[in-house]
Amino acid sequence: MNEELDSQLSAMFDDELAPAECELLARRLSRDEHLKARWGRYAIMGAVIRAERGVRLNAPLAGRVNAVLLAEPALAAHTAPRDLRRARLRWWQPVAASAVAAGVATLSILWLRTQSPAGDAPLVARTAPPAPLTTAPAAAAPADSYTVPVQKPASVVVPSTELANYVVAHSMFSPPMARRNLLSAFMTSEPAAAGAEEPQGDAKALAQ
Amino acid sequence: MPRPLRSNGRLFSLALAWAVAGAAAAAEVAQKTSSEFAPAQWLERMDHALTTRNYDGTFSHWQGGRVEMLRIIHRVQDGVVAERLASLDGSGREFIRTGSSLACYLPDRRTVLVEQRPAEESLVSFPTLNDQTASLYTIREVGHTRLNHRETHVITVSPKDEYRYGYRLWIDDSTAMPLKSQLSDAHGAVIEQLVFASLTLSTRIPDSAFRPDISTEGFRWLRNDAAPHLQPDAAAPAWSAMTLPPGFRMTVRSAQVLPGSAGPVDHLVFTDGFASVSVFVERQPTPPGQAAVPESATVGSSSAFSTVVDGHKITAVGEVPPETVRFIASQLKAQGPAPASH
Repeated sequence: MNEELDSQLSAMFDDELAPAECELLARRLSRDEHLKARWGRYAIMGAVIRAERGVRLNAPLAGRVNAVLLAEPALAAHTAPRDLRRARLRWWQPVAASAVAAGVATLSILWLRTQSPAGDAPLVARTAPPAPLTTAPAAAAPADSYTVPVQKPASVVVPSTELANYVVAHSMFSPPMARRNLLSAFMTSEPAAAGAEEPQGDAKALAQ
Repeated sequence: MPRPLRSNGRLFSLALAWAVAGAAAAAEVAQKTSSEFAPAQWLERMDHALTTRNYDGTFSHWQGGRVEMLRIIHRVQDGVVAERLASLDGSGREFIRTGSSLACYLPDRRTVLVEQRPAEESLVSFPTLNDQTASLYTIREVGHTRLNHRETHVITVSPKDEYRYGYRLWIDDSTAMPLKSQLSDAHGAVIEQLVFASLTLSTRIPDSAFRPDISTEGFRWLRNDAAPHLQPDAAAPAWSAMTLPPGFRMTVRSAQVLPGSAGPVDHLVFTDGFASVSVFVERQPTPPGQAAVPESATVGSSSAFSTVVDGHKITAVGEVPPETVRFIASQLKAQGPAPASH
């Protein structure tokens, strides 16, 4: 890869490439597998340095990449301030970056600003504990102001075959947005042990 | 002048891909200017876009502190819907729908579920947002912002009680596709988030895009080979809910055979126009001396609850809080013979 292209790629990653050039480079990204792979590596390197969750590199590789990058004088000089900034970086940055690594087939490249679920105002604000469930709708809509959302622990379960059946059958009757959420959650729920095969007798268990 | 590869903090910015095929984008130009749409109309436009457009996107799914990437490919061609949703990391599961055939690949269980749905369900229409919906949710546009360099309308759907979840949606101004969505519980806490990392709107997506990536050699295949749309047994009891949460009503009643199931399963669907709950009823005699124990499960932000009533296992599944599926399942009772399907 020539240096000019390398430089353009770097500038695009730094959000310093002119929009027109950005679009041209994005077109090239969609055609050039080597360039695409390089783009992905930039994203992963950034995520590895931050050691943030969501990027799943094997430990030895991550360690080697980290060591090489930290050995660069230019990088080492920036390490301390970056560490200070780490706390402000958001959880999903490496994730989207790895997505780009997985497959960029686009006409133009755009940038997503730092943001997280906690950074957005929740839909409902309450100053008092919620009322218990009733069969009558509440009288008034709550205000749309900010409270700090609670980070809930993971509560996914391994879907049994039967539950999988139910989820798939139900998805046909869910509104489009809810359907996408439902199926996505099903796809990402905790997988069974590698190669696990559900015995016929267990197929009736709702959840394991 | 060549630039060296830099490594300042912004190196770690995210790059997102976004593509809009020219023809698809051109066709998108609306008759009205986007500012003329009411918040509820944005939701309808979004539903329309999600169900009728051809698109190929990668998005992150965040829930309970876990993040995974997924890819979604959706196509409507000659009236036939094809869709593929695949986990790019983690389980490697895939869901592929082609017309009325649904296939769920579970590599972690070395199982494939194949279900044939009635052809008329291929393009299910959903209840439109109406005055009743407005009594259950507050729908507002709370902002107009740029996301991924795209102009988006930020629409919130806030529930007025605790039987349902709320949404915050970033809807693309020109395509009405939701670039980002958050699901919130009744307390306003974000419990699930989806953000597109790349999205391509295409005029044509090849059939090859709807083939699974995984090898299914040695997998167990479970199919529902019986007629996909059974009439309820005239002698069987009709199940209905004695009481429902405010705004919910039954919209579907059918009988079907699910892959791997021993017999037909009654399937009832309840919806408030925005959220929906399915209730499945199948015969399951409880062995003498054994009490049936209700079970709860969650699939991401969606909930399931199962109990046994009069020798039948009743399972409610829906993208609603756990209390809602529990409430609906516990209200189901058998009442005389089943009426005709739908």
